[in-house]
Order: sequence, then C-alpha cells, then structure tokens
Amino acid sequence: MNGNEAAMAWHLGSLVISETVLTTWGIMLLVTLLAWLMTRRLGDNPSRKQTIAEMIVVAMESAVADVIPAERVRSIMPFVASLWIFVLVANLSGLIPGLHAPTGDLSTTAALAVLVFLSTHWYGIRAKGWRKYFRHYTEPSIILTPFHIISELTRTLALAIRLFGNMMSLEMAALLVLLIAGFLVPVPLLMLHVIEAMVQAYIFGILALIYIAGAMEPNEDEVASSKV
Amino acid sequence: MQLDLTTFILEVLNFLVLVWLLKRFLYKPVLSVLDARQQRIQGEMRKAAVLQEDAARLKQQYEARLADWNTEREIAKQSLEQELARERDTGMKAIQQSLADEEAKNRVRAASAIATREAELVRNATSGAYRNAAAMLRRMASPAMTLAILNILLDDLASLSEKRQEELHKAAHPENVTTMEVVAAHALEESAQRKLGDAVAKVCGKPLQATFKTDTSLIAGLRISLGESVLHANLADELGYFRSQDKNV
Repeated sequence: MNGNEAAMAWHLGSLVISETVLTTWGIMLLVTLLAWLMTRRLGDNPSRKQTIAEMIVVAMESAVADVIPAERVRSIMPFVASLWIFVLVANLSGLIPGLHAPTGDLSTTAALAVLVFLSTHWYGIRAKGWRKYFRHYTEPSIILTPFHIISELTRTLALAIRLFGNMMSLEMAALLVLLIAGFLVPVPLLMLHVIEAMVQAYIFGILALIYIAGAMEPNEDEVASSKV
Repeated sequence: MQLDLTTFILEVLNFLVLVWLLKRFLYKPVLSVLDARQQRIQGEMRKAAVLQEDAARLKQQYEARLADWNTEREIAKQSLEQELARERDTGMKAIQQSLADEEAKNRVRAASAIATREAELVRNATSGAYRNAAAMLRRMASPAMTLAILNILLDDLASLSEKRQEELHKAAHPENVTTMEVVAAHALEESAQRKLGDAVAKVCGKPLQATFKTDTSLIAGLRISLGESVLHANLADELGYFRSQDKNV
C-alpha cells in the first residue's frame, strides 16, 4: 500500500485495519446479504431469485464434479465456490469509484493462495491419509521430492502474484489513462476490467480445484493395483 | 507491492468466515432444496416405475385374460357351430323325411287316384261291355237259345255233384215246399216243361208242382226258385254274376 492508502486504514486499538480488509468485510456483508435474500424463502415452486441461486450453485457444483470424485464434491465445493464468488466480487469492486479491489492487494491474494496451498494438503490428507498423501512426494523417485516441494511453493506464489498483478495493473492502467486522457476515456478499459475480473476469478478457482484434485489423485502403486 | 501481515491474517480469517457464511446461507439451503427435489423426483420415478410395473403386469393379465376369453369364445363359437350343424342336420333330415313321407303319400295318393280312376274306367268299360253284351245277347236271344240253355241245365243236373245234390235235396225236403217256380225268357214247350220237372224231381228226391212264367229280362234261359234255393240258368243272371264278380275283383 502507498502512503494514501495507509492513511485510509482504521486503527482498532493496536490493530491496524487496512482498506483492503474493510472492503473485504463490505464484500462479505454484501455477498452474505445477497445469499440470504436469495435463499430465505426456498420452496418447491422456485421463484426467480431461487432459480438464480440454484443455477449458480448447480453450475459451480457441476464444475467441481467434473474434476473431483463424486463422493468428495460436497466437501470441496464450498471452498472452491467461495473462491470464485469472492475473487469475482473482489475483482469487480475495483470498478466502484473510491474503492480498490482487495485482490489488487498482495496480502489478499497471498492469503487466498496460502489457503489454497493449505486446503490442497488438507483435502489430500483427508482423502488418502497421511502416509499415502506424503508418499506421492517421493514418486516416481525420492530425488524428485525437492522439486515437488519447490513446485508446490512456486505454484502458490504464482497463484498469488498472477491475480495480484493482473488486478493491480488493470487498476493502475485505468488510473493512468484517467489522469492522462480525461474522465470518460478509461471506460473501454473498465469494460476490459470486467472481463479480466471474471477470467481471473475463474482461473484462480479452477487452478485451486485442479491442485486439490491433484492432491486427491491415487498414487502410482494404487493405480497399478487398480489396473491389475 | 508489499505484504502486510495483519491484512494477510485478517484476509485468511475473512475468507474462512466467508466460506462458513456462504455455506450457511447459500450452499446448504440450496443444496438441501436440490437434494429434496432430487429425492422427490427419485421417489416419483420409483413410484412411476412401480406404477409402470403394475401397469405392465395388469396389461399382461388383461392380455392373458383376453386370450382366455378369445379361446373360450372360439370354443363356444365352435360348440355353437357344431350345435347349429347338428340342428341343421336334424332339421334337414326331418324336412327330408317329411318330404319323403309327403312324396310317398303323394305317390300313394296318386296311385290310389290312378287305381280309382283305372277301376272306374274298368267299371265303366265293364259296365259298357256288359251293357253291350246284354244288348247284343238280347238281339241274339231266341226260344231256341232258351231251349239250348235248358238242355245244358238238364245235363248239369244229371251230372251234379253229390254235395250239390244234397243241398238241393235239403232245399226241397221241408214239408211246405211242394212247388217250384220256373221263370223263363221264352215260353217253354210242354215237353221241355216235363223234362225239367222230371230232372228236378230226380235231384230233389220228390215231385214238385211247377209254375211256369215268362220274363224277357232274363234274355235267354230260365230261373228256378225252389224253396230257399234259386237255380240261375239264364244270360241276365249270368251277366249279373259276372258283373258282381268284376266288382269284387
């Protein structure tokens, strides 16, 4: 954050609440409120709101089910779907004048990436158990274990940096164009921002999903035994 | 680009809270509704499957029953056709019998009519023949013919069988029979009357007083009444006898 952004932070005792966190709370409040409004009167004859809610949830569950074994879908879907929803809304929040997208802050994207990193191990261990899960770091050879670890770390870092870089650069480009060209000139760039926001949200969620699915894949010996 | 630890930790917590909130307010209710709907649909599908199975079973039962009905109907139809055939045969036989009986009756009736007609024709022809014969014999009749018949009678009396003689004897034997009546077609001469009286007395075994009469209806010949017996020796009685014999035939 720069000095102006730091000035916009709140101080809760010794705890400094940044604008990013405040925006995130606002997003959480908005998303929760929308979710509550859409699902407060669910029935056998779905209303338009219920239909939209069902459509969103079913679409996300279907996307998860395409990658994850069916018996694990219900446990993984909330995490991945929440990633999609939060990253999308957070990306789009940058379009609101006076607000900065939380995903334009490396702290947020890093937090999300770390959560993805941890959830990958969490779901992998739950699906396969400690021994089997960590054994895949030694496959096909124990020599490759460091590379596996480096791969895990770098992909997490890439996850955080990719989202942060894209969103920050878009906001910065729009700001620069606004400063140089004038009031309405950045509008096409903001349209691109919308598309980029959706694309980045999808990419972040689908990568998290693929990482989790990869962690749940059976080991080589399990595959060989199942083939036999 | 800098990483703020407080923001980082708060964002981690924020996201975890958001996951919980969305799970509480979005995923869980919607998925519950979807699951309930899915279960309801599956329940309806199961019910539909059960109904379909029931329908198939009922259809099978109905088809089997229909087949049974068709079989029973065919059997009943065949039975009815056989009964009708029997009835028809019986009726035809009865009709044929009736026709045969009627035909026989008609044949008998026709034969009877023909026979009656033939008999009538025969009677008419016979009657005509007798009439013609009588007419012809009347024209041919003469005292000589009467005399010739008398001679034949005398010959017959002379050669009469014992049984016949006995009958004549019995007819003349009662005390009150003392006469005999002789009716002739032509008047007899005295010699002829005497020969006749002698011949009768000889047969009867006693002399009888004879009275002679003439009756031309006898054509030729004579008739002798002796007590309860009558001797016919004339053409008219012979023709009458023949006619009566024809009628009897």
